[in-house]
Amino acid sequence: MNQVGEDVSAQSEQNAQDARLMADMARGDRQALADLYDRFSKPLFATSVRILNDANEAADIVQDVFIALWEKSARFDLSRGTAFSWAVTLTRNRSIDRIRMRRRRRELLDQAVPEDLGYARAENGAESADRMEASESATAVRRAVAGLPKEQQKALELAFFGGLTQQEIATQLSQPLGTIKARIRRGLLKLRDTVAPRV
Amino acid sequence: MIDDHHEELAALYAFDLLEGVELTAFEASRRADPALRRLVDELRAASTTLAHTAPEQTPPPALKARLMAHIGQSSTSDKVIPFRGAPLLAWSAAASFAISALWLGQLYTTARTENSLLIQQQALAEVSVQSAKNQLEADRILLEHQLQDAEVRLANLNQELKEQNDLARFKITTLSSMLGNSPEATAVAIWNPQKQEGVISVAKLPALAANEDYQLWVVDPQYSVPVDGGVFRVDPDSGEAKFKFKTAKPIDQVAAFAVSLERKGGVPQAEGPMVLLGK
Repeated sequence: MNQVGEDVSAQSEQNAQDARLMADMARGDRQALADLYDRFSKPLFATSVRILNDANEAADIVQDVFIALWEKSARFDLSRGTAFSWAVTLTRNRSIDRIRMRRRRRELLDQAVPEDLGYARAENGAESADRMEASESATAVRRAVAGLPKEQQKALELAFFGGLTQQEIATQLSQPLGTIKARIRRGLLKLRDTVAPRV
Repeated sequence: MIDDHHEELAALYAFDLLEGVELTAFEASRRADPALRRLVDELRAASTTLAHTAPEQTPPPALKARLMAHIGQSSTSDKVIPFRGAPLLAWSAAASFAISALWLGQLYTTARTENSLLIQQQALAEVSVQSAKNQLEADRILLEHQLQDAEVRLANLNQELKEQNDLARFKITTLSSMLGNSPEATAVAIWNPQKQEGVISVAKLPALAANEDYQLWVVDPQYSVPVDGGVFRVDPDSGEAKFKFKTAKPIDQVAAFAVSLERKGGVPQAEGPMVLLGK
């Protein structure tokens, strides 16, 4: 099995474990919630911090997300998406809602320098990957993103973390809107083909 | 087969980047096309993996404890737990449900009755309010009419008072005959100083010749000669006449009225014999 195949297989197993934890949570198993917290809290917290640039607010968001997962766990259906996707979507939406509410978009944009993305380190190969101490799936994603053209990385990064409109992304990157749309499409399709679990 | 344009829209949709009409149109396409729905699901899942690319951050150690404490405060009854009880429990649940349904039905009926009563009370209150409004309106109209009547009466009283005041200022004089052949000739003259006009009524004056007129004079001390008050003729049979007059000059004070016999059309100053005089 090649590297991509191993990544996909590992990811599928993780998704299945996450689904079992959600089922246990639906039966009131608090230990399952604790376990899911251990699995998700770092990337969720990192995502929220990346969007909000505020660790305290990010902690509030993450707590709210886990409470929502606990309360709505009975509704979870793996055929409609992974638990991780659900948790990330909740985290991202709430974080973006928070920054929009605070109208700190411009401040955050100013801080969105390429070095913050984390991709450059992944590009440097094994040495950088070791330093990241990430899970297998995180490593796979970073490797996949690092394999994308730089301009696609930037477009995806702003689309996911920026809380911006299409036009604002185009303005931020000084590119025509059509170019930005095309970069997001090509980058996301490649990412799906490389790392995203089949749902 | 999904074309490039819809792939692009799907990618933007996965990042929540579609807005307005574009969003509405794409969601319609997505509902109608299973392949497009699947693509959106895949792209959305792929987009969430970007969470792994955020610079690593470790949540505060207290966060997990805080979360678990919060969950611990929640009642386990909040959770939706699949039911795996025995059949007896199922029957008990069904019975409980039936009792609850009856109880809720009774509550519903009671609530409806109370609601109906409240609606009736509200309708009665509205009628009362309307009735009070009508009464107030009737009172207002009545008072308005009374006020108008009072204003008319006041105006009339003012007019009467004014007329009385004017009458008090009137100069009323009886003129006596100065003729030996007509000693019964008399006249009454009334002068309104405000309007500077008067009226004279004569009786039993001798009939005039065709080339003669009687002429009225008003004596005012401010003038050296009597002021012309105009000429008049009398009924040949009764010797009566009544006419309104105005003087040729403004009159300040009436000292006397006089009537003389003059040639037809009158004269600037009295020339003929004096026939009537009154002070």
